[in-house]
Amino acid sequence: MTRTVDLNADIGEVLLTEEVIAAKTAELGRRISEDYAGRQLTLVSVLKGSLPFMADLMRQIDLPLRIDLMEVSSYGGTATESSGLVRIIKDLSASIAGEDVLLVEDIIDTGLTLNYLIRYLKGKGPASLRICTLLDKPARRLVEIPVDYRGFEIPDQFVVGYGLDYGERYRNLRFVGVLRPEVYGEPQ
Amino acid sequence: MTDDAEAPAPRPAFAHASEAELARILDFYDVRWTYEPDTFPIGWSLDGDVIESFSPDFYLPDLDMYLELTTLKQSLVRKKNRKLRRLRELYPDVRIKLFYARDFRMLLLKFGRLALAAELSGTVGQATPPRAQAQAGGQEAAARRDARVSPRQADTATDGEVQSDDDDEAADDPADAFGPAGRLDDDPDAGRTPRGRRRGRRRRAAARAASLAAGGPVAESVPPGAPNGFPSTGTLP
Repeated sequence: MTRTVDLNADIGEVLLTEEVIAAKTAELGRRISEDYAGRQLTLVSVLKGSLPFMADLMRQIDLPLRIDLMEVSSYGGTATESSGLVRIIKDLSASIAGEDVLLVEDIIDTGLTLNYLIRYLKGKGPASLRICTLLDKPARRLVEIPVDYRGFEIPDQFVVGYGLDYGERYRNLRFVGVLRPEVYGEPQ
Repeated sequence: MTDDAEAPAPRPAFAHASEAELARILDFYDVRWTYEPDTFPIGWSLDGDVIESFSPDFYLPDLDMYLELTTLKQSLVRKKNRKLRRLRELYPDVRIKLFYARDFRMLLLKFGRLALAAELSGTVGQATPPRAQAQAGGQEAAARRDARVSPRQADTATDGEVQSDDDDEAADDPADAFGPAGRLDDDPDAGRTPRGRRRGRRRRAAARAASLAAGGPVAESVPPGAPNGFPSTGTLP
């Protein structure tokens, strides 16, 4: 049976309001503008979750910059067959060799995807590679990742909104909220 | 396909379906791992014999970190937590992370595969179907592991002499989140009872302990902070 999605009713708690996110994004933009002044900055974002954050962050950075987008496959193995290796679904559209690259993420939890991307991007010879994430969930970390710009450290809860999804839904919420456990089949 | 095509790395005999799933996830993200490569003694008798040990499920060589996946209910991990604290006291340089049942469920949720958690925790009839490759690889891995214990060591082993961390998993509530029913069918020990499997592990752990007490080489053990010599199981081409 298909469940009807009620975007707002499915949220148990608003963790970060639109205003709070905007203020933090502006703060990060100022810091990045200072740190990269006079350098060739390229923002690389990972689809799809990072899209709203990337769009807001780049407009808070007062520097000439380039942007690029990547998309990688997500794990979807079954109990009976291997899911293979992570694939680059959409690669960078231009070379980043010699560029200062800032990888923009929506959330870091296990660090598995980011760990792979860091190795991949370093192989393309950037002058520098730093990490900026809106949300950091360190309780879930499997692979330690050095985070250079962190918006919020959040508790160990399943969050959606502002780009973050559950089953490709909720990305268009203006805030970050905690999804009710019963929505994904967990008893409360 | 040519004859010299690189064969996939053999899969070890995972003690639990959830471990096999975590291994697939690590493979997917190109994180190298080895399965139960080391055993750390954490308790000794007054005579100096090892009576308690801890064998983390995974070692991630590129991250120099051990990973222990416990699928017991949160309320039942007290013993596991105590062992982990003890290990950290004795081997402060060893990095280890305990991955709880909830962590595992949330990981599957992240991949939109929460239903798989139930599949892994199901009853006997829901156990993961056998896979030819895993079966062959698992038997090879088990053979390699057993081969590292010399006949002399095996002869000196006494059943139940050493308590390993695996006992914690099986001895608690059978209704735990991923209980013994979730074990893989492709496990070469699948035809044995959980108790039989525990005995096998105890025998191997006891053999290692006996060797340690005798001052001899200890199979699958490492000095504190020096996790070297891991096999290449599970590495990617």
